[in-house]
Amino acid sequence: MRTAQRVEVRGRVQGVGFRPFVCRLAREFDLDGWVRNRGGSVEIHAEGEPAAIERFIEALVSRAPPLADPQPAVRRPAEFRGCAGFDILHSDSGTETPIHVPPDHFVCPDCLDEMRDPASRRYRYPFINCTQCGPRYTLIDRLPYDRPNTAMADFPLCEDCRREYEDIHDRRYHAQPLACPRCGPVLEFREPSACVAIPGNEPALSGCIEALRRGRIVAVKGIGGYHLLCDARSDAAVGRLRERKRRPDKPLAVLIPWFEDEGLDWLACLAEPSPEERDLLASPLRPIVIVKRSADSDLSGLIAPGLDEIGLMFPYSPLHHLLAGDYGAPLVATSANLSGEPVLTDGAEVERRLAHVADAFLHHDRPIRRPADDSVYRRSAGTMRPFRLGRGSAPLELALPHPVSVPTLALGADLKNTVALAVEDRVVVSPHLGNLGAPRSLDVFEQLIRELSGLYGIEPKRVVCDAHPDYFSGRWARTCGLPVHRVLHHHAHASALCGEFTPDGPILVFAWDGTGFGGDGTLWGGEALLGRPGGWRRVGSLRPFRLIGGEKASAEPWRCALAACWEAGLAWSGCPVDAAPFRHAWERGINSPYTTSAGRLFDAAAALLGVALDQSHEGQAGMRLEALAGDTGDFLELPLRRENGLYRVDWTPLLPALMNGSRPAADRSALLHASLAQAVLAQARAVRGESGVNLAGLTGGVFQNRVLAEHAARLLRTDGFEVVLPASLPVNDAAISYGQIVETAHAGPSIQ
Amino acid sequence: LAHGNGGRLMREIIEEIFAFHFGQEDLDTTADAARLPLDAGVAEWMITTDGFTVEPLEFPGGDVGSLAVHGTVNDLAVSGAVPRFLSLNVFIEEGLDIEVLQRIVASMARACTDCGVRVLAGDTKVVRRGQGGGVYLATTGIGQRPAGVDLGLHRVRPGDRIIVSGPVGDHGAAVMLAREQFGLFGSLRSDAQSVLPITEILLGFAGLRFMRDPTRGGVATVAHEIARTTRATVRLLETDLPVRPEVRSVCEILGYDPYYLACEGRVVAIVDAAVAAEARGALRAGGFTEASIAGAIEAGPARVILQTSLGGERLLPELEDDPLPRIC
Ligand SMILES: [Fe+3]
Ligand SMILES: [Mg+2]
Ligand SMILES: [Zn+2]
Ligand SMILES: [Zn+2]
Repeated sequence: MRTAQRVEVRGRVQGVGFRPFVCRLAREFDLDGWVRNRGGSVEIHAEGEPAAIERFIEALVSRAPPLADPQPAVRRPAEFRGCAGFDILHSDSGTETPIHVPPDHFVCPDCLDEMRDPASRRYRYPFINCTQCGPRYTLIDRLPYDRPNTAMADFPLCEDCRREYEDIHDRRYHAQPLACPRCGPVLEFREPSACVAIPGNEPALSGCIEALRRGRIVAVKGIGGYHLLCDARSDAAVGRLRERKRRPDKPLAVLIPWFEDEGLDWLACLAEPSPEERDLLASPLRPIVIVKRSADSDLSGLIAPGLDEIGLMFPYSPLHHLLAGDYGAPLVATSANLSGEPVLTDGAEVERRLAHVADAFLHHDRPIRRPADDSVYRRSAGTMRPFRLGRGSAPLELALPHPVSVPTLALGADLKNTVALAVEDRVVVSPHLGNLGAPRSLDVFEQLIRELSGLYGIEPKRVVCDAHPDYFSGRWARTCGLPVHRVLHHHAHASALCGEFTPDGPILVFAWDGTGFGGDGTLWGGEALLGRPGGWRRVGSLRPFRLIGGEKASAEPWRCALAACWEAGLAWSGCPVDAAPFRHAWERGINSPYTTSAGRLFDAAAALLGVALDQSHEGQAGMRLEALAGDTGDFLELPLRRENGLYRVDWTPLLPALMNGSRPAADRSALLHASLAQAVLAQARAVRGESGVNLAGLTGGVFQNRVLAEHAARLLRTDGFEVVLPASLPVNDAAISYGQIVETAHAGPSIQ
Repeated sequence: LAHGNGGRLMREIIEEIFAFHFGQEDLDTTADAARLPLDAGVAEWMITTDGFTVEPLEFPGGDVGSLAVHGTVNDLAVSGAVPRFLSLNVFIEEGLDIEVLQRIVASMARACTDCGVRVLAGDTKVVRRGQGGGVYLATTGIGQRPAGVDLGLHRVRPGDRIIVSGPVGDHGAAVMLAREQFGLFGSLRSDAQSVLPITEILLGFAGLRFMRDPTRGGVATVAHEIARTTRATVRLLETDLPVRPEVRSVCEILGYDPYYLACEGRVVAIVDAAVAAEARGALRAGGFTEASIAGAIEAGPARVILQTSLGGERLLPELEDDPLPRIC
């Protein structure tokens, strides 16, 4: 006898071809009924033989399409209606939404083959996609995920496309961004200085390729924003890009062509990737992966000055495949933005604001609803870890170890900002936004907060922000009208780590970064915190020193070196400026707040070694020190002093060794890393002696430094500690929004 | 108490404590001077009051005495009034060197003569040693505003231009260097002076909307006041905001932003874009050679954007207290 079941499937089931899959499956099992999107989940009404329905429900998960990630289906008996056939119904909006907006997908192998097939009507079409690939997050206006609710609403389907869209056996059945040369988006190439405007896919592409061959810098519209492209082998082109973008040192990513194995050939020419790195590069995520560069590559030396690594990326969109393939050589592909801002997404704005940077522009007319920068990964402490969440990896959905009591919005940190939205035991973390000190960042921040609430149908009832009094995110919180919870920066770092690993008992977390507002009004940045989310106690720190000139000290490591030397009662003969006025400011404490920052201590060391007296981008000094560090087992045992319940590491004995010019800089850098790793171990042992806690975490931007992170982790493990590092989220401030959520969800009685 | 530098906390204290307790109609805490409810014929009486503390009492380019006169005179001037009378309260700390007091009072008298105002009333108290920074002064000023002068942020529209009458931050930098006993930057002097010659020129333009003297908190804080009240975006142009090289280099060394340093002899004015160039020209011709069109009012959220000389954009925050580094 035929019966009926109502089935609900949650998880990643929208925008991944799940409903057509359900349809085909239903027919296979001879079921009648329907399927529809319902908010963020899929609802199925199935009528048929009970045994067939059982097998169908099982297959929903076991045979799901590659991009789908369904959770086990929930079902209940339903009224038998005697349906005829199995249909896809129009989406039912206006119901409660479980969290899910899919990230943007790379172009799948099937579409890629079709794009390369001269017989196909989508031969070399830059916007080819199917249910298994193409843009999502950057395209969606609102859920449910249907074409009229996307940036494709203004592209009516042509007859051929409509046929594919409606044919259940077609791999484009209900592919929302589906398009072809007749009805879809189109390229336009513009070179304003030469009064050139070339519409049309092929002419625009060849215009762009030709401009690149002439050494020009071209701003190219991709999935989540514009890139600036230029020839990666030309010092002249890369130098021009650096000069115009006023970005003298920050490493630039390189896009390499992909033709079956040829992509891997290029990879082998430019870098020495591990199998893990190669797999991640080629994975559907298509992130930028930072890998060891080959000594003999013909890439311009200006791409990553002073570093032995390089950020590589394979094409992810059909357009990038065409560009990289036609050019046939590596291209610099860096985000088209002004320093610290989110990547630009609007053609007119790019032409206006990057007029002084780009010579030419490759636009298209598919709007980008919100920016998504490229994701960045790097291997550290045994696995690939994200540096930046972006296209492909975000919005990142995670389970919370402890549910939030009310829907909660977390505003993150001001730099490397991300925001997070949580309801019940689910949280979604936004892509990287940038530095909120720039007006465009704040605009996107506000836009995203608005849209995330809409996309997920969640109205936040409270806001969590950093405790820093001058953060722009904190100012926004004060005016948003919701109750505001403030979380200390380093508590958020520690809680973010706990959110990923859910330890049973207390954990000792080393949160080492630049600076964050500490509970005592000083700037923390080299802290050891003991406890659990909602109950952290600061048990360790570094000897404080002054930041002469406040924020200026972050851009000018020599200020940190001066202050560190003076703290130790030493003079620094290598100081590049007349030290007298700085000494005066230091003595009188004029705009020279105390900090326990490990990041600034690395900056000081970089200046003392002469590796970086100034830095044009955050982390530059630390990256160069890391690149320099040789392999010596040598370390100094730094004194650990007990002060007001804190184990303070006194780093001053390092200074004479760092200044000792008779030792190679590589040795001195290695000594610094090894000594600080030993200091981590010494603190951990001291705390374990008192608390018995044997679980240690390493987090904060300073642990992006692989030499330090791996060395400290190794020492701790050898000494019997269990060690955890962030893996799903970056170790840097991108994780702060998530940590704020975790911290707030647990907020209860403090250990203190 | 961290309520000293004109940021948000100070505004809250003024709004929530003083405005609350004095909450009668005549007292407008946002205006530099208030109308005196007396018959002045066709003109209006304006009144303002201010207290003055500075360390050191004497600094290059001025002292607390001249500051107490100029500060109050300038508040009347930017309100469009002609200052007439002052009242004066003096709080002297036991043990103050009488020579110093002499110099300060003399300097105050000179400033009164220069500005054409008379002290009509006054009072002096002595406070115990350790209870005052040498001398505190409080002045109340009364002036006459001609009929028909309508200045205020209610007249400001998107598109209007911002004029700055001269280099900014001199006073803040000079006083700070003197207080912190920096033996350097000898040529740097406070800009403390009467702004009457400036406001007289600007008042000649019908397109003048608003004037303010950017004292505590500097140009950035005035810009925030404008943004908050008009609910518009204030865009300042780094390349057009005059800053003396000495001030710039002090800021460079100490990590300060010159746009937050106090001025005591400058005017920030908002004018109709149509007269901006002409008004700037008149100021320059009147001896204010570095007067500049340094920004504009734009439709947009209430915020202050600094367009940097490198072409980027930076938000200028409203200062809470002394700034702490945000970099992580
Ligand atoms: Fe941090
Ligand atoms: Mg005043
Ligand atoms: Zn596809
Ligand atoms: Zn079509």
